[in-house]
Amino acid sequence: MKALMSLGALIGVAGLLLLAGMIFNVIPSSTVRLVEGYMPMQMLFELTCFVAGFAGLSYMMSAMGMPLSRFWQGIGFWAFILLYLKYRVYPPIPFSVRAMYGTVSLVAVFMWVSASEEDWKKFKQPIMNVLDAQTGMNKLLRYMYLVLLPILIGGFSYNAMMPKSEEPIELRTVHPAPPASTKVHGKTYTLQTSQNPYRVNPEGKYDQDFTNANIVEQGMGRLMKPNANPWDDKNQGYLKYVREGGEIFFQNCHFCHGDNLNGRGLHAFAFNPIPANFTDPGTIAQLQETFIFWRVSKGGIGLPNEGFPWASVMPPWEQHLTVDEIWKVILFEYWHTGYYPRTWD
Amino acid sequence: MAPLTGKRVFSIMALCMMVGLLLLPIVIALPSPAIGEEAPAGDTAKKDGDKVEKGRDVYYKTEGIVVGAPAPKTTDGPKDYPRYNFESRVLIWFANQQHLYYGSFVLAVPIFCMIIEFMGVVTKDKALAKRYDQLAYDFIKISLTAYSLTAILGGILIFTFLTLYPAFFGYLSSIFRPVMHIYALMFVAESGTLYIYYYGWDKMKEGFLKWIHLSMSVVLNIIGTLLMFLANSWIGFMMSPAGVDEQGRYLGNIWHVIHTALWNPLNLHRILGNMAFGGGVVAAYAAYKFLAAKTDEDRAHYDWMGYIAMALGVAFLIPLPFAGYWLMREVYAYRQQMGITLMGGLLAWLFIIQATMIGILFLSSNYYLWQAMGRMRGAEKYQRYIKYLVFLLICGFLVFITPHTMVMTPAELKAMGGQQHPVLGNFGVMSAKNGGINVMITTTVLSFIWYMRGNKVSTVSWAKFGNIFMGVFFACAYINIIWLAIYGYYIPANVRVGLSVPQVATTLSCLFFMFALNSVMMRGAKQMGPIEWGKISVRSQYALIMLATAFTWMMALMGYIRSSVRLFWHVNEIMRDNSPWAYTHTVGFAANMISFNVLFFWISILFVFWMGSLSAKKVPVEAKAGIPGGVPQPAPAAGR
Repeated sequence: MKALMSLGALIGVAGLLLLAGMIFNVIPSSTVRLVEGYMPMQMLFELTCFVAGFAGLSYMMSAMGMPLSRFWQGIGFWAFILLYLKYRVYPPIPFSVRAMYGTVSLVAVFMWVSASEEDWKKFKQPIMNVLDAQTGMNKLLRYMYLVLLPILIGGFSYNAMMPKSEEPIELRTVHPAPPASTKVHGKTYTLQTSQNPYRVNPEGKYDQDFTNANIVEQGMGRLMKPNANPWDDKNQGYLKYVREGGEIFFQNCHFCHGDNLNGRGLHAFAFNPIPANFTDPGTIAQLQETFIFWRVSKGGIGLPNEGFPWASVMPPWEQHLTVDEIWKVILFEYWHTGYYPRTWD
Repeated sequence: MAPLTGKRVFSIMALCMMVGLLLLPIVIALPSPAIGEEAPAGDTAKKDGDKVEKGRDVYYKTEGIVVGAPAPKTTDGPKDYPRYNFESRVLIWFANQQHLYYGSFVLAVPIFCMIIEFMGVVTKDKALAKRYDQLAYDFIKISLTAYSLTAILGGILIFTFLTLYPAFFGYLSSIFRPVMHIYALMFVAESGTLYIYYYGWDKMKEGFLKWIHLSMSVVLNIIGTLLMFLANSWIGFMMSPAGVDEQGRYLGNIWHVIHTALWNPLNLHRILGNMAFGGGVVAAYAAYKFLAAKTDEDRAHYDWMGYIAMALGVAFLIPLPFAGYWLMREVYAYRQQMGITLMGGLLAWLFIIQATMIGILFLSSNYYLWQAMGRMRGAEKYQRYIKYLVFLLICGFLVFITPHTMVMTPAELKAMGGQQHPVLGNFGVMSAKNGGINVMITTTVLSFIWYMRGNKVSTVSWAKFGNIFMGVFFACAYINIIWLAIYGYYIPANVRVGLSVPQVATTLSCLFFMFALNSVMMRGAKQMGPIEWGKISVRSQYALIMLATAFTWMMALMGYIRSSVRLFWHVNEIMRDNSPWAYTHTVGFAANMISFNVLFFWISILFVFWMGSLSAKKVPVEAKAGIPGGVPQPAPAAGR
């Protein structure tokens, strides 16, 4: 048990030193990299290691006769979480999400320190000592708090109320609700039931399983599967149409959506927000192909009322592409990202 | 034996009468389904010859003879939308929400009574049996006062509809006409059964008569549940209409109108939701009485009452997310656009708030259980591990509440380089959220098991093996849930949706198998000390109040979301809302309105509790004294 706790303590100290180094810019933030594709689990794993580390550290300090009071343990852990979110996770997390996480962490700390009556008493003790002010130091602290707390609250209020020159926050709808059907080049498509006509096997029959089996491998490299190279001239059916879709994509779409389909094309940063990142699991991976068909065809200008604030400058591609070209480019987007379109079974 | 015979006859007659009341609406309803589709079709055809007009059911796609008028095409004016100098939608929202709160409460509490009364009947410990019986009686007493208020609020709701939305209400009434009288008769049956059940309590408290009384509670709850199903059919029809053609004309098959695409998931979701809500309200009542109690005896009673109510509430809270998941799945299957509006579009932010509320419910429940371990001697051994449970819960919670679309300033958006955060954005999709909620539920199950064995030490010969097995089982469950959540990113969406099944199965396995195993292990266990009822921290009681408030707030929120998803339709794709209020409120306005409804409900229910305590005052002291087993009595009054 002691060995386990010592190991935990070692991890805790190492982690804290690394974080402190990152905060003070002594160690570059990328020293321990967040690996693309594994970042969310890496973050949770790191936090787990820290919790184990702090438990070990606390144990070791108690064993060495230098126990850290429950009050400072709680405050320290909360401060650590705030600093971790601010300095460890990149790109920077928006304040609204950090505020949510910070509040939940505070609740967690409260639940931990007040889970048993004994712990709660230990946690409250320093606060009660200051309030009771039995010693000179505590008396001084009490007066300090009496003066500082109203100033602090006043400062926060002033800051919150002060008019700011920055652009207001927008609650953008990423997936505006599509219509039940859409009319493109004179033909009506029912979004719930329509299918991509080019999702076919070499024999020309609609085949979801065949096409799913030939998309690129997900993961860091997005590698093509063996014998599934669309640029092989011998291919028929799905892979042939993927190639044709790719050509259309690189003639029309990649300037904004990027050659890696991650929304970072040449012109991307001229727009705010930047174009959709298809490699993100929250975009096309969540949607039916017909949804993409509707969005591509109608563009930003065709967004419905509930799509407010209509923050999309995508042109209505029905004015530039044929229906077949739109379906093919969609086929390519799913193939390239390694995602499967949403279907209903 | 002789004096009992009269009572027996009376009881059996009462029970038969209840069953009769239950069956009466069904008997009356029998000719109704025949109005349209089959038999009368021939009659009408004979009478009208070729003039019979047929329509196609918008959902079932079956053909039927048109027997109703088309849905009215309303215009903004005093004819279709008469109004006071106020937003009509807000008025109807308020009336509806209050009616729903009370309706849920009076439907849920009798189910509790049934369960608790049953526990009292089957418990061998006489003293405990009496306590259960008294508790069930206390519950039904509270519900009785609330019942009158529910009826009054129902009346207010109908008048509000008739006054402010006459065209819309007229249309709905015309569609549901074949069952409207059944609905009314069910109310009569419910009231009659409830009063006989309540007033017959003392007369039927022993032996065979007690079983008759218990049977009455079953009948009462069947009537109540059927009533709710009928009410649900209205909202099911508004969201996913069926049984009408494209113009909204009734095609004669009332079963199609009732049995819409979303009716069954709505029914299940509401039953579970009502139960969890009812448990929360009663737990909050007990918490309030605990905090106001002056004697140790009162504190002990209300501590116990709060615990039972919380346990029942949480028992129904645990399957609630799964029922919600089913409902959303059906919504997506019915109309993708509706699903996207809810989960990814206009109303998505409300779902983040909902996730937060669900998280609060689980955090409060767990916190209460940890606090409750404080009143058991011997439970100290678990308390040092609570921090790890906190960590698991919070990780699940953080993943569960992470928004897919983050609120940010344009400067933050630029710094982030896109709408989705590359790390946290992954937590914003369903696969991660399924993992998050299942981790939270499994942790709650673990907390419950710790609580159940808090003051006990297993004496079975295989105790060590059992403990190791349980530990490994839980570890495997967590690994499976998290692994499936990660795996969900690498497979097609339709398979991903199916992955929720093994995740749920894992969680439920923990619930059922581990509870069963724990019960077997704890049979004849060595007691480290008694449960010292009443010696629980006040923080635990605030957790109960938090639990109830979160339930109330969430119910109002979800009701608003469900209703708002129709956007500018009174009846989805059939009858358009042409009032000036056919737009979706801002999140802030909706939150304020929900808070107002919650506040009003809690103020009014406090009044109901106070009324209940007035009747308790009138009970002669002698009648309560000397109950075997020293049943803790309710506190004399809230308003003393």
